[in-house]
Amino acid sequence: MRLRVSVLLLLLAGFGGTAAAEEFPKPLRFGLTAVVVKENLRFLDRWAEYISDKVGRPVEFVRRRSYREIMNMMSSEDLDFAWICGYPFVQKRDPEFLELLVVPVFDGKPLYQSYIIVHADSPNHDFDQLRNKVFAYSDPESNSGFLFPQTLLMKRRETSKTFFRETFFTFNHADTIEAVAEGVADGGAVDSYIWEYMKVFRPEITSQTRVIEMSPAFGFPPLVSRAGVDPRVVSRMRDVFVDMANDPRGQKFLEGLMLDRFATDTAKLYESIRRMAEKVGPAPPWLTGMEKK
Amino acid sequence: MKLLHPRSWKLAFKFPLAITAVVTGVGFTIGAVIISQDWQRLHDELNEKTLLIAGSVAAAAPEAMLRHDHWSLFQSLKKMASRPARDSIETTVITAMVLDADGKVMAHLDPTSHPLALPFEPSNALEKYLLKEARDARVPVILDGGWSSRAGFLEGVIPVFSDEKYLGLVRVRLSNDELFLKAQRAALTVLTVTLVLVVLGSLLGAYISHRMVRSLVAITEGLEAVSRGEVADVPLVPVQDNDELGALTVAFNRMAVEMAEKKLLEQELVVAEKLAALGRITAGVAHEVNNPLAGLLNCIDTMKKHPGDTEILERYLPLLDKGLNRIRSIVEGLLVEFRVEAVPDVSDPSCLEHVRELIRAEIDENPIDILWENNLGSSVRFNGMQTQQVLLNIMKNSVQAMPEGGKVSFRSYEDNDGIVFEVEDDGPGIPLENRNRLFDPFFTTKPTGTGLGLWIVYRLVESMRGVIDVESEVGVGTRFRIIIPVADA
Repeated sequence: MRLRVSVLLLLLAGFGGTAAAEEFPKPLRFGLTAVVVKENLRFLDRWAEYISDKVGRPVEFVRRRSYREIMNMMSSEDLDFAWICGYPFVQKRDPEFLELLVVPVFDGKPLYQSYIIVHADSPNHDFDQLRNKVFAYSDPESNSGFLFPQTLLMKRRETSKTFFRETFFTFNHADTIEAVAEGVADGGAVDSYIWEYMKVFRPEITSQTRVIEMSPAFGFPPLVSRAGVDPRVVSRMRDVFVDMANDPRGQKFLEGLMLDRFATDTAKLYESIRRMAEKVGPAPPWLTGMEKK
Repeated sequence: MKLLHPRSWKLAFKFPLAITAVVTGVGFTIGAVIISQDWQRLHDELNEKTLLIAGSVAAAAPEAMLRHDHWSLFQSLKKMASRPARDSIETTVITAMVLDADGKVMAHLDPTSHPLALPFEPSNALEKYLLKEARDARVPVILDGGWSSRAGFLEGVIPVFSDEKYLGLVRVRLSNDELFLKAQRAALTVLTVTLVLVVLGSLLGAYISHRMVRSLVAITEGLEAVSRGEVADVPLVPVQDNDELGALTVAFNRMAVEMAEKKLLEQELVVAEKLAALGRITAGVAHEVNNPLAGLLNCIDTMKKHPGDTEILERYLPLLDKGLNRIRSIVEGLLVEFRVEAVPDVSDPSCLEHVRELIRAEIDENPIDILWENNLGSSVRFNGMQTQQVLLNIMKNSVQAMPEGGKVSFRSYEDNDGIVFEVEDDGPGIPLENRNRLFDPFFTTKPTGTGLGLWIVYRLVESMRGVIDVESEVGVGTRFRIIIPVADA
């Protein structure tokens, strides 16, 4: 259903866009996912405005529930840029249509972790104790929210189905934290950046959760550009993000995002995720089927 | 004890009580009807709302249930529970859940007590029953979790289908609490209004009945005064309204006035009668005394003309004697009342024997039978002298009425009314025209009678506070009956 709507939007944009392209510069569409905390709508509007000012082209943020949707929109050229997770970034595409734009620097490094959390009052203190419990993933294509816990299961020669009593996807790290805080799930896997961010801005929720396991550091969810976008536009966009740390107005947004800055980096940053993804293998078919429902 | 019986309660109390009872009954009946209707309406609204809320969750449920999207199911439950009420009933969602076809929890508002993917565990018999009913439902239903109590709830159950396949169910429970509060407030308002109406109605009833009873009491007091004979100064009752009671009051007042006037008239009549009687007596006395006086004066005149004529003296002296005696007997008769009254006397029945002897002497040679029947006990006491005089006078009349002979019977006895004396003869009887004047002074049918005998009888009986009546039929006989109260010993 959602796919169909997207296609429809794409068609409309396509027909309308070609006619108006010369007179009005087509807005640059920037896809956002669960990597960004969802409540900050006004913040995102102002940030989009800021980027528009700096790039000299209208920029609009497009929010979708899942990485899959954003990835589909990228592949269908419905989006020009996107802030995605390392897991979709490292997946094999033929032809490759993603290029690394910038990498956020969080707490001094372009790295983050996956946290396995439980309820603050939970008697469980390690991952093994979550056997036969309910576990919340954020997104089937999230590194911290899905891929990392898969490696934990693999180590135990288990799968989601065999190890947990029940699992579900919240498609949002913040929601995963909330699901654990509410007691809907006994445990969950979340993005450390989101958890730390929530700890500052929504402490009443994170205080009800407890981190029982942390993953090794992974490359922070990257901002990417679509291969077909004008390299000059991509270059300008990269400069805008990198310069934010040097711009007082830009710094405000970095503060709001709890990021130090955006840095240029190479795809090598995501090697560990790529290896992990290869080990775990492609997403199970039932996950793929889910999106189409 | 008798006072406690409603029949002995005062009207002034009964009347307002009855009005209050009726007003209260009507008031509270209407109040109860309104309250119960209000309750029913609120309850129906809550029913509808429960289904609506459950339906709102169920609408988006099939997709989420198929995808095992527990989080969005939980979120929709949570959103529903926290949604502020916009209609008349504030409702609290006590609990809500989504169960799958096997009864396992897909989402529950209280996830810690009811963990996901485990069968829903009913905590008691009621829960067990409700769970079974809910799982058996294939159309939306409302289950009753004791809606009539404040702690109760309504449960809306919506079965969820996808392509006609039963996926599970949505259960939403709404608390009765607000419903109760609201119903309570409505009931309180109705009861207050009813109570005020009852109080006002009772006060009005008391006022009306007070007015009515006041008239009735006044009329009753007036009637009691009348029955005591205090006719002259019965107070008039003020007429309040132009209704039945007013008409009664008017009629009573008219009666009181008329009775007062009649009493006045009667008193005037009595005075007039007394004056007339006095006139008759005076005229009688004058006449009766005048007749012998004329003879006497004639005799004295003749004796004066012939002084020393012994023949005239011898002839006229007895005439003088006779005439003077007649005058004396007239005067004695007039004095008898005062004389006897002055001598109170208490005798026993044996004194009647004296009467019997005197009558025997009176009969003399006449062929008259005396039947004497004295049934009075020896302990009976009465005024002997007066009774003797009364009986003697009556019997003398009987004897004198039967010069050709006959029968006189006397009977005395005691009954409830007092001491009864009966004198009966089979003489010629008293003609109708004479009966009214029988006891008048100087009324006589006998050429030599003074007309004072029966008058004296009447006065004596009256002085003994007795009654006398006469039954008489011409050619058959006459019967006198005297009843006197028993004298106080």
